[in-house]
Amino acid sequence: MHSSLTLISDFSIPDLVLMMQGSIWISSNSQGHAQSMTLVLRLLIQPFRRGMFELGTLLEQSKSNSIFTSLQVILADDDDGNRTVTKKMLEKLGCRVSAVASWFECLSALGPTGNSYQVIVLDLQMPEMDGFEVAMRIRKFRSRNRPLIIALTASAEAHVWERCLQMGMSGVIRKPVLLQGMADEL
Amino acid sequence: MERSQMYRQLANMRKALFDQGFLDEQFVQLEELQDDANPNFVEEIVTLFYRDSTRLIHNIEQALEKNPLDFTKLDSYMHQFKGSTTSIGAKKVTNECTQFREYCKAGNGEGCKRTFEQLKKEYALLKKKLEAYFQLARQIGPVESACRPK
Repeated sequence: MHSSLTLISDFSIPDLVLMMQGSIWISSNSQGHAQSMTLVLRLLIQPFRRGMFELGTLLEQSKSNSIFTSLQVILADDDDGNRTVTKKMLEKLGCRVSAVASWFECLSALGPTGNSYQVIVLDLQMPEMDGFEVAMRIRKFRSRNRPLIIALTASAEAHVWERCLQMGMSGVIRKPVLLQGMADEL
Repeated sequence: MERSQMYRQLANMRKALFDQGFLDEQFVQLEELQDDANPNFVEEIVTLFYRDSTRLIHNIEQALEKNPLDFTKLDSYMHQFKGSTTSIGAKKVTNECTQFREYCKAGNGEGCKRTFEQLKKEYALLKKKLEAYFQLARQIGPVESACRPK
């Protein structure tokens, strides 16, 4: 079972091709354990738009067949406004969201083995914390059923993306986060 | 005032905010998240924004009084601030942020200060306009009041 998550960026075509060839976006962990969720990314190149995270298709699908129903997500973002908005978007998709305001709370929420969060959405710009460091800790922390880590960043720079990939993050969403219908896109 | 009149007035206010460039598409994103469970979602987000950004504005102000100016720090504050303005669709304010960052990169202190004054004006003006808008929206009550722009 799968659903499609469209990640659109304004990166150059060579960068996108590189990423696609790396299959970095498809979630399968290094131990070969089947993931309970497969993210299949179709990278649509839209030169006129800034990077965005398009979930509109999923909203429509979610009415009938929702892979996102009861998907458990931890959202970590220190900005109250942004956190509230992102949380709402995820909830609209049917996710169950725990929102925290610091990396410490995020790690606490994950617990020792415990809570089965499948996705962590992490703002890279929280103060007093290096988002990459957190991701590394999370990865060391639980190697089985490791949650997917998706980074939120306002940065458009390729090196930030690359670093996310190197750190083992499963995806990057560029801020501001948008929720748009497929119709709009066409 | 009759309800339908208020409704029309609200729609006009909203349209003006977009037409005059105060708000952009991101604001519509917020509106789309509003529902019966969260009927004042947009207002809540905007309120949060103005509350949280006060601290940042203050930090920038203080940083602009230092001599010499720390452009890296200023840029970093503004980057953060811009992240928030963008996410509520505050178009004019965001433009000032962008301009400010350009001046930071160029090491142009006077440019930064001038732009910041302009930014504060836009920030305050938008706040007033949105306050009026939300006040009217509340008066009308939980009616589907958004007209989507084309």
